[in-house]
Amino acid sequence: MQQQHFPQLDSIERIEQGFEALGYICSPKIATAIFLAFQLRKPILVEGPPGVGKTELAKTCAELLALPLIRLQCYEGLDEAKALYEWKYGKQLLYTQVLKEKLGDLLQGAQGLAESVERLHQFSDIFYSEKFLEPRPLLKAMQQERGAVLLIDEVDKSDYEFESLLLETLSDYQVSVPEIGTIKAEVAPMVFLTSNNGRDLSDALKRRCLHLHIPFPSVELEQRIVLSRVPNIDQKLRQQLVDFVHRLRDLDLKKAPAVSETIDWARSLLLLHATQLDESLVRSTLNVLLKFEEDIQNAESDLPALLRQSKVAS
Amino acid sequence: MQSRLSAFIQVLRSHDVRVSPAETLDAMAVVAALGYAKRQQLRDGLAMSLAKTAREEAVVLRCFDLYFERQMADFKTRDTALGADFSSAQNPEQSASELSELAPNSASSERQELEQAAQHDPALEELLQSELMQHLLDNKRAELSLAIGQAAAEVGLNNIQLFTQKGQYTRRILDALGEEALRKASLSLEQADSPLLETLGSYRDKLRQQASEHVEREYLLLSEGRNRQLSDQLLSRTRLSHLENRYLQRVQELLRKMAKKLADKYSHKPRQGTRGRLDMARTLRGSIANDGLMFDTYWRRKRKDKSQILAICDVSGSVAAYAKFLLLFLYSLQDVLPKVRSFAFSSHLAEVSQLFREHSVERAIELANWRYGGATDYGASLVDFARLALDDINHSTTVIILGDARNNGGDPRLDIMQSIYQRSRRVIWLNPESRRAWGSGDSEMLRYQSACHLVAECNNLQQLERIVDQLLKQN
Repeated sequence: MQQQHFPQLDSIERIEQGFEALGYICSPKIATAIFLAFQLRKPILVEGPPGVGKTELAKTCAELLALPLIRLQCYEGLDEAKALYEWKYGKQLLYTQVLKEKLGDLLQGAQGLAESVERLHQFSDIFYSEKFLEPRPLLKAMQQERGAVLLIDEVDKSDYEFESLLLETLSDYQVSVPEIGTIKAEVAPMVFLTSNNGRDLSDALKRRCLHLHIPFPSVELEQRIVLSRVPNIDQKLRQQLVDFVHRLRDLDLKKAPAVSETIDWARSLLLLHATQLDESLVRSTLNVLLKFEEDIQNAESDLPALLRQSKVAS
Repeated sequence: MQSRLSAFIQVLRSHDVRVSPAETLDAMAVVAALGYAKRQQLRDGLAMSLAKTAREEAVVLRCFDLYFERQMADFKTRDTALGADFSSAQNPEQSASELSELAPNSASSERQELEQAAQHDPALEELLQSELMQHLLDNKRAELSLAIGQAAAEVGLNNIQLFTQKGQYTRRILDALGEEALRKASLSLEQADSPLLETLGSYRDKLRQQASEHVEREYLLLSEGRNRQLSDQLLSRTRLSHLENRYLQRVQELLRKMAKKLADKYSHKPRQGTRGRLDMARTLRGSIANDGLMFDTYWRRKRKDKSQILAICDVSGSVAAYAKFLLLFLYSLQDVLPKVRSFAFSSHLAEVSQLFREHSVERAIELANWRYGGATDYGASLVDFARLALDDINHSTTVIILGDARNNGGDPRLDIMQSIYQRSRRVIWLNPESRRAWGSGDSEMLRYQSACHLVAECNNLQQLERIVDQLLKQN
């Protein structure tokens, strides 16, 4: 297996710059993780609350390296037939039917059963060759000639057995197909796994990964994120809205607003031509930030105080 | 550096971070890739490769700060204001570069004075030739730090366990460093009433302080973890009824761990679609009737398994001391497992799943105790349970009963117990009383035992853990 050289990943600073150019503001910690993942050829397990940019990280990385992004969305009941490979049963059956007559020709002149079987043995593996193999995301990622970015999304939603299935792929970058043998990646793909902490992953899986926890960003970082994603927004409004979101996160909410929600909110405020936050505006757009009726009611009662504080702060 | 890294990993292990040899190798690869130049990067990188959960990450970061914060005090200044000196030394960035430039100039005058005095004083002469004093005069912090580290290793500082040992170890380290020469020299200077005594004294004080700080850090790093392990062991062997409230928090953590173990086991049963892979053998066999035409395809079916746990907890007076812990276990179980229905009873039984879901652990336990506590009536409670949940019990249900089976002489309603037994996959009864007391007085345990797959005595965490392990093995 060879390692392709990417000048974009030469140093941690370059990674930060590269990501920023693509509109993804990453903290030094994230950049360090990507640097290490590439240097050590290890998968990254990204954890954190929903909406902090876990999936986006993989997408941006693929864009930065100009590699195809292969995504495997995990869910309960996901098995090897959908993740690794499957035999093209229909094709196999069809071919056996079509070739039935051919078989008669081949066996003509064979003396007795033993010889016929002997002759058949010569063709035994035809139906289990790579031609009949349907690659699924994991195998596909191994087969890419230039390498790929493989995103295994929400791995905590998959079953326990599936994790064990991943182990071989993640540590050796290979897939074993019993009928054919081992298919090894020419170029090791960059692998991202994301998890929302739905359940604890097995130690075996965690051990093979670098562990990256992305928390909600700091006020300063989030302002830079909003600036890069919604560049047209007024600076004053940007400060106010980021500060307001941070105050919301301190409340006791069912689901705290994530970065993606901040960006959505900034976009909606821009659409509404807002220049500053006022109560009626926030009240009418609060459903962009908060996704539970209970949370909205909670926040609405604190709204005047929150707004006053964030106005003072910015 | 390699040995420093593996020593650091030892420290992590004592702090409950599990680090395997393979991860140690990973950590070394990380260090090789990042280099030592940037502290922050190295810190992030090590945390990423060594920690596996957010909690472990916090531990790794804290240990990193303690372990690699080996900043030596500055020995170059003449004034004895130690405090000011240390505050500047706390700042790690400005350390190495500046001192190497400044040190020779300021120390040179001191050195000359000392050398002059040494001509009349054999003790001082000897001191000046020692390596320690050379380092001190040259202000070689890196060497000094190394020397202290080596001395500490010599005297076996890593065996420190109690805080009372700190002074002793500091003394031993100083001895190993060769501080004796310094002491002798200052003694002879004192007799000669030399003005240089103060200079020498300040060196000595700083050295001492460094050594004692080193010991302090090591103590924090090493023994804290060990002591916690010790207290965990103790906690798990104590009878639950004897544990005080203030340990509740720790116990809850332990219980949660255990409940999680159980939960992991049960939640791994996959819920999958009914259609699996093609059953080639069966398809071929089926084709015989159609003259070899594979008309019907057969698919391997996957077993659908929806395991469910019903947990019943006695909160009556007779088990009052245990009820809190049993409820705690129940609470933890429901916390980590989605499909647990919890019930509490004394004279009557009611479902408390909702209660547990809505309230924090302390409040929920209090409420359950208050609402459902009272005199025990297993018979009536079983009737209630049958009414509430018997229809839901099937071959994939596990029923866990926590109670002492003391029925105050009432009808035990064994028939209900038996129908539960027959319908469910598994009935587990955990009794806080010791096995010898079962069947004595009004205990119906021996009769109920016949309708359980597993009965166990359970009055401390260790037993509970063993039962959990047993359960995991059997399935």
